[in-house]
Amino acid sequence: MTADPGRVRKADPGGLRTAAVLGAAGALVALGALVLTVHATVSSASQRLQTPAQKSKVAVAANAEEAYCTPRFKEVLERVLHSCGLAEGEARRGCKPADVKTFASISGQDFNELFTPLKQRGAVILFDTGKEDLDASAQKALEDRWLDRKGARYFFVVGRASKTGTVESNRALSHRRANSIQFFLKDKFADSELDKRVGLLWLGNEFAQLDKDFCNWQTSRSGEKCDDESINRSAFVSWVDCRL
Amino acid sequence: MHPQSRTYAIFGIAGSLLGLVFAALSSVDYAEHLDRHLHDVHCSLIPGLVSGADEENPCRAAMYSAYSALFRGSYWGGIPISLFALGAFSFFLGFSIYLFFAGNGVSTKALAFFAAAGMTPLAVSLLMFFISITKIGSLCKTCVGIYLSSALLAVGAFLAYRKLGDPFGERPEGKWGPPVLWALALLGFTLLPSVVYAGAVPDQKPYLRSCGKLEKPVEAHNALIRMRTPASVRSATLFEDPLCPTCRAFHQRMLAEGAFDRLDVQMALFPLDSDCNWMLTNPLHPGACTVSKAVICGGDQARQVLEWAYDQQDDLVKAAKASDAQLRALIGRRWGPQVLSCIDAPATKLKLNHQLHFAADNAIPVSTPQMYLGDLKVCDEDTDLGLRYTLGQLAPEVVP
Repeated sequence: MTADPGRVRKADPGGLRTAAVLGAAGALVALGALVLTVHATVSSASQRLQTPAQKSKVAVAANAEEAYCTPRFKEVLERVLHSCGLAEGEARRGCKPADVKTFASISGQDFNELFTPLKQRGAVILFDTGKEDLDASAQKALEDRWLDRKGARYFFVVGRASKTGTVESNRALSHRRANSIQFFLKDKFADSELDKRVGLLWLGNEFAQLDKDFCNWQTSRSGEKCDDESINRSAFVSWVDCRL
Repeated sequence: MHPQSRTYAIFGIAGSLLGLVFAALSSVDYAEHLDRHLHDVHCSLIPGLVSGADEENPCRAAMYSAYSALFRGSYWGGIPISLFALGAFSFFLGFSIYLFFAGNGVSTKALAFFAAAGMTPLAVSLLMFFISITKIGSLCKTCVGIYLSSALLAVGAFLAYRKLGDPFGERPEGKWGPPVLWALALLGFTLLPSVVYAGAVPDQKPYLRSCGKLEKPVEAHNALIRMRTPASVRSATLFEDPLCPTCRAFHQRMLAEGAFDRLDVQMALFPLDSDCNWMLTNPLHPGACTVSKAVICGGDQARQVLEWAYDQQDDLVKAAKASDAQLRALIGRRWGPQVLSCIDAPATKLKLNHQLHFAADNAIPVSTPQMYLGDLKVCDEDTDLGLRYTLGQLAPEVVP
């Protein structure tokens, strides 16, 4: 700071000089100290940048993984995926009872128990005897289930038939029921990825028949008479919230 | 010397010291972030009090804004304006000390210089205050500290002016060299911290492309929201949550940079609300699913709905916390019953679900906003402090 030669009042030149020196010193000390502090902070940030500490892990977006996705459940589902044409690049679609029995290596009862956690998530679509047509309530139930996808990646359709009729005809009937659901979904939602999402199994009346307890699940014909026979004229559908 | 004759100098010293503290805290906060990590920022009128690393505090919003720094296209984060304040307050501290010790012997020119120059920090503060209110929408307490310091200094300058009597009545005698020197010194002091800072900032170029890619840039169901303008020259994918304050600030920065309109944006809404987003166990932003569906229902006006949601975010958040009905009432009042009924349509739910699955298929971080230029991920730190610089490096065609 420079003393002002243009001052109009009488002043002690020595005092002004001292004031100027003090002022200049104060300014320079403040500026110097703070600039050095900022410079040190920048340098320190540069060093951290060049030797970065491990970044804290951030959750990444992914499909859902619910508690019911036990190792056993996933093992069976993975076999379904790979054996029934859901894995990428597979040409075939769906699995018949013999396939399921072979790859699942599991009893029918244990197979059904695996699906117990899906009681609220899925629905049992019911059909008339010997038919594969979807009635209005079945279509509504299917639409509701499909739209309630949340974070699931795969939609399973497990077609069945009651014990009425021959094994061969029931096998074919359960296949048509599973297909009927798939065709409905394709028509309704025109989803180009549907083939990669929907897994079909048809069990005829040979494997994993449902017992009457399944009448308490969400069905497309609530309020109608339900027994061991009618509950198997059905297809169970559900999104599965597992990362497979 | 009568003590009252030094009052202006005391105000000058007090204002400068306080200004130095706030400007230094702000500058250090800025410099800390050059390591590309999130740090606590000072945000209090009590100097030194740290407010935490949350992304929603007004000081962070101010720091990330397009108005906190100059030369942001040349330096990552730019040169913080607090550095200019740091230099200026240092000068005024020294000058006030000089005035204090010079007492009654101080020259008319020195008083006149102090009276005029001492007002400049207040003028800048008023400008920044106006920007804070009108552009950023919040007041950062550290910035307010600088404004108050400037006001104290300005009081000193005003008192110096009063002491002058009628400065225009009689031309002071003597040479004009000293005032010119003081002005040059003020300029030098003001610029020096910035020059030192600019010389020390690390090169961020090697890090700009280090955050990965969008593995599956195409959404099979055509569910993403397209926001294209005639000026769009570069494709970008954005993941945003309409009730996320960080997204709002990011969107405002993009608009302030003039970049948003030059991007051909495909937007995936990513509400951090467990009502529709299975990736959260608790809603971080309750109501975000409903507002996201309203944006989808906007159709051709989706951008307007999104920007309305950002503008009204505080009210929407309050309404959502109260009840879903209150939230819907706000949406209905602005966008009408058609949008309200569309919110509950199965197709809307499906579209939002597809957008969330798009995020899952690409394994994006569960935080918003996320920005991809083409398929290149823009690092989080480059969407805030380094936005202007990063756009200039990675997509110069989108910054005017």
